[in-house]
Amino acid sequence: MASIRRLTRHSLMICQPRRYVPHAAILFRISLLLVTNLFIQAAVFSQPRLPQIKFSDRTLANGLRLISAPDHSSPTVAIQVWYHVGSKDDPNQRSGFAHLFEHMMFKSTRNMKSEMMDRLTEDVGGSNGASTNDDVTIYNEVVPSNYLETLIWAEADRLAGLNVDEANFKSERDVVKEEYREGVLTPPYGRFDFLLQQKSFLQHPYKRPTIGSIEDLDAASLRDVQEFHATYYRPDNATLIVVGDFDQKQLDSWVDKYFGPIEKPNRPIPRVQMKEPSRNSEIRAVEHGINELPAVGLTYLTPGLAHPDTDALEVVAAILGGGESSRLYRALVYEQQLAADVGASADSREDASLFEITAVLSEGKKPEDLERSLLAEIRKLQDQPVSQLELDRAKNQLITNLFRERETSEGTAQVLGEAAVLLGHPEQANFDLARTQAVTVADVQRVMKKYFAGSNRLVLYYLPEASKPSEAR
Amino acid sequence: MKKRFISVVSLIAYLAAAAFAQTQTTPPPPAKPRSVTFPKPVEQTLPNGLRVIIVERHDMPLVTASLVIKNGGEVDPLELAGLADLTASLLTKGTTKRTATTIAEEVEYLGGELEAAARWDSTNVTVGVMSNKLAPAMTILADVVRRPTFRPDEIERQRQQYLDTLTVSLDEPSSIARFVGAKVLYGDGLYGHPVQGTLESLKRISRADVLKMHRLFYRSDNAILVIGGDINSETGFTLAKRFFGDWPKPAARLPTTPTVNKPDSTTSGRVVVIDKPNAGQAAVYLVHRGIDRKDPDYYRGIVTNSVLNGYSGRLNQEIRIKRGLSYGAGSSLEARRDVGPFVATAQTKNESGSEVAGLLVNEVARLSTLPPMESELTPRKAALIGEFSRNLETVNGLVSHISSLALYGLSLDEINHFIENVQLINSADIEKFARTRLDAKSSDIIIVGNSKVFLPELQKRYGNVEVIPFSQLDLNTRLLRKKQAQ
Repeated sequence: MASIRRLTRHSLMICQPRRYVPHAAILFRISLLLVTNLFIQAAVFSQPRLPQIKFSDRTLANGLRLISAPDHSSPTVAIQVWYHVGSKDDPNQRSGFAHLFEHMMFKSTRNMKSEMMDRLTEDVGGSNGASTNDDVTIYNEVVPSNYLETLIWAEADRLAGLNVDEANFKSERDVVKEEYREGVLTPPYGRFDFLLQQKSFLQHPYKRPTIGSIEDLDAASLRDVQEFHATYYRPDNATLIVVGDFDQKQLDSWVDKYFGPIEKPNRPIPRVQMKEPSRNSEIRAVEHGINELPAVGLTYLTPGLAHPDTDALEVVAAILGGGESSRLYRALVYEQQLAADVGASADSREDASLFEITAVLSEGKKPEDLERSLLAEIRKLQDQPVSQLELDRAKNQLITNLFRERETSEGTAQVLGEAAVLLGHPEQANFDLARTQAVTVADVQRVMKKYFAGSNRLVLYYLPEASKPSEAR
Repeated sequence: MKKRFISVVSLIAYLAAAAFAQTQTTPPPPAKPRSVTFPKPVEQTLPNGLRVIIVERHDMPLVTASLVIKNGGEVDPLELAGLADLTASLLTKGTTKRTATTIAEEVEYLGGELEAAARWDSTNVTVGVMSNKLAPAMTILADVVRRPTFRPDEIERQRQQYLDTLTVSLDEPSSIARFVGAKVLYGDGLYGHPVQGTLESLKRISRADVLKMHRLFYRSDNAILVIGGDINSETGFTLAKRFFGDWPKPAARLPTTPTVNKPDSTTSGRVVVIDKPNAGQAAVYLVHRGIDRKDPDYYRGIVTNSVLNGYSGRLNQEIRIKRGLSYGAGSSLEARRDVGPFVATAQTKNESGSEVAGLLVNEVARLSTLPPMESELTPRKAALIGEFSRNLETVNGLVSHISSLALYGLSLDEINHFIENVQLINSADIEKFARTRLDAKSSDIIIVGNSKVFLPELQKRYGNVEVIPFSQLDLNTRLLRKKQAQ
C-alpha cells in the first residue's frame, strides 16, 4: 500500500498477530508433516531449525501470568505487559476508548508522575511503547538489564492504580485526536483502511476501528478512565512477559514482591459475546476521499485466529500478495498494469477475521476492470491446485519472517505474548514453523473454496472526491 | 556469559521497602550495568578494487548481503531527477540470464527479499536470506548488479510505477513538505530534487540515460560489498571472490562527483506555504543546512539533534506533551557526503499550523539561548546511545550501519567508539553547535495544508509569506511555481 504510517509511540497496533491452532491439534499435525515433508525439504535445502524458546510459565495467586525466557546475548531485557482488552471492549458511545486509555497509562499513577515511564526507560538508554488493537493492549519496554527491577515496579504500580488529572486527560486526548487526523484523515488511503474494517463487520464490535471517532473521543471523561481501569486492568487480565538478560530467581522474587500484593477483584471480567453473523450475499460500497488514484478493497469473513484454517489462509495471503512473484502482483501490477500496488493479508482477530485484498489503481485505469481481474485470480486458485514449487515459495517467505521476528528480545516477547494471550498457550510459539510447513496444496484449494465465495465478499471502491458527480458533493 | 549478582544498593532498597510498607512508593534503583560490545568487521579489497567487508553475528541463521554503489541520487542530471533510483529499480527487472519474473521467483523461493534503490550518495542492492541460502542469493545479487538488460518494456513499466507512486506521495502533506524543503535548501544543487524524480523529469528519462548511469557508476572500483550475520569471514570472502572477483575494473576513470552545494545565503529565511485545501492536517517543516558526514562537529551535531528529537526531546515536550498539538514532533540531522539537511517537523490540525511553526523556530533558537544543563543532557545522550544500540540488534541494522561508515570512508571501528564519542559532548558544545550551525533566523519554514485557517496568523508572525496553491506547485524549480501561473 502506498502509505506506510510513521508511528512514534503509543501507536495503534500495526503488526498482525500470528495465528495459532489449539495445542492438541498441532501435535497431531506435526507428526504427519514430518513423515510426508521430510524428503521434499531435504532435497532442496537443509532447513535451519527454528530455535526453540525456552521459557518458564507461572501464575501468581492473584491471577497474573508471568512468562519469562532468559537470553544473555546482549545486556538488555524486554518487558511486556499484555492486557486482554482491546477496542472491541470500548464502552458504548466511546469508540476509541481502549486506545485513549492506553495513552493515560503514561500519566500519573499512585507513585509515578506523568511521563515517569520515560524517565525510567528513554533517559537510561531504553525505550518504551504501547499499542492497542481490536483484542489486546500491550505495554512494552526495552531497558539495560540492570533496570529490570525498576521496570517491574513501575508496571506493577500502573496496574495498581492511575491518578490522572483533568488537564493531563484533556491534553492527551488532543494528542489522540491528532493521531486520528494523522492516521485516518491525512494519508491518502487512511480513511479507506478505516472504512474497509468498519463496513466489513455488521454486528461485532470490530465494526468500530480501534482509533474511534472524534465525537466519541470528545465525549470521554476522566470518570470513564477510572471505570475502565477498574474493569479491565486487573492482575487476572494481565500477562507479564520478560525476555533477555535476567536471573530467574531474582525476577520471580521481584514479580512476587511488586505484583503479588495487587488484589484480584471478585467480579468477573466482561467479555464480548456478540458473534458476527456469516455473510449471505455480496456487500458493495462506494466512498470518496482525498486520493488521486482510486483504490479497491475486498474482504472475506474468516474464522478467529485459533481456527485450524488460519495457517492455510496465511499461506494463501503469501501466494496472492507476497512479493513480486505473487499471483496478484504479477497479474495486476506487472502483466495487466492495472494496479500501482496490491496487497493481500490474512488479518486475524480473536473472534472473527478478515482476509483483505487491497489495490491502488494505476493512472487512468478503471476499478471495474481491476475488480474483474482480482476475482479471476481468486477463481484460478479455487479451480486449479497450486504447484508444490509455488507453495514452497510462499512458505519460505513466511518461514524467513519467523526467524526475523525472533531476532530481538522484544520480538521474542511479542511472539510469546501472542501465543499466551490470544491462544492461551505460549508453547504455540515454538510450533509456528511446523504449522506453516504443514499446509498442503490441498489445504490451499480447500480454504479458497470454503471462504472465497462471492456471497462472503465485501467490495469497497474508494474513489477520488473529484470524480463524484457535482450535485452529490 | 553468566551474570548473577545483587547489587548492594538494590539489596538495601529491598530491605527498606520490606520493613516499612507493602507497596514501595519510589522506584528501586538500578543494579550495576553490563558493558556493550559490537561485532568487529573484517575486510579485504579484491584486485578489481571491490572492497569486501564481513561482519559476523551468529545469534540467528540470518544473513544480509549488500552491494553498495558509491553514488546515488546526487549524480542525477538536473533535468533527469530520479535517474539513479529508476536505474536501480530496473536492475531486478531482467538480466542477460533472468527475466524480471524469474528473478522474483528465485529470490522469493529462497524466502528472501531483494531490494535495489538509490538514496543520497549511494545505491544499495541488498538481499536478506536464511544463512544456508546465501550462495544462491548472491548468484542473483551479482547477476542483477552486473548484467541488467534494461529492456524498453520494463523501463516503461517502471516509469508508470514511479509516476503512480509519486502521485500518491503528492496526496500527502508531509511528502510535499519534504520535497519543497529540499528544493528551498538546495535549489539546483545535489540534493535539491526528490530522489524518485518529479512528474516531469521521470517522463524525460530515456533508455540511453539509464544505460549511461549504469556504465558510469556500477563498477567494481566504485562499490562495496558488505555481508553480515550468520556467516564466517572466510566463507564470506570466498563467496565475494566467486561472484564478484571477475567483475572487470573499467579502464576509464571514474567520473568525479560534483560538489556544487555551496550555501546560498540570499535565499535563506523563506516562509513557503503550499495551499492544499483538502489536507487532513498541516505538515510543518523547518529546514536548515546541516553538516557533512566528515564534519568535525558530527558528534556535537547528533547530540544537539537528540536534545530536540525523540519522545522526550524538547520538540515533543513542547508540542505534544505540553500542548497536545501533534501526535509526534521530531527532528533529524542527516549528514551526507556533502552538507545534508537539518529538519524539525510536526503534523498538526490545520488550525494550529502557524502556532507549531512558531514552536519549531523557538525550540531551535532556544538550543543556543538556553542550552541543556547536565541534568537534561545526560538522559538525551543515553537515549541516543540506546537507539544506536537497538538499531544494531538486527542483522539488517548492523549491515546498514557498517555500509554507511564504509561509504563515507570512515573507520569501521567507529561502531565501537560511538558511545564514548557521544559521552564527550557537553553543554557548551551544544550551545556552540546551535549558534554557529543552526541559526533559527536563517531557517526556512514550509507548511503544507489548508492555508485558509492558519495563514492570517502566520502572516502576522512572518511578514513575507509565499503562498503557492498546490495546483501551481513545480518541484523542478527553486521558485516552486509553475511558469504559466498568473
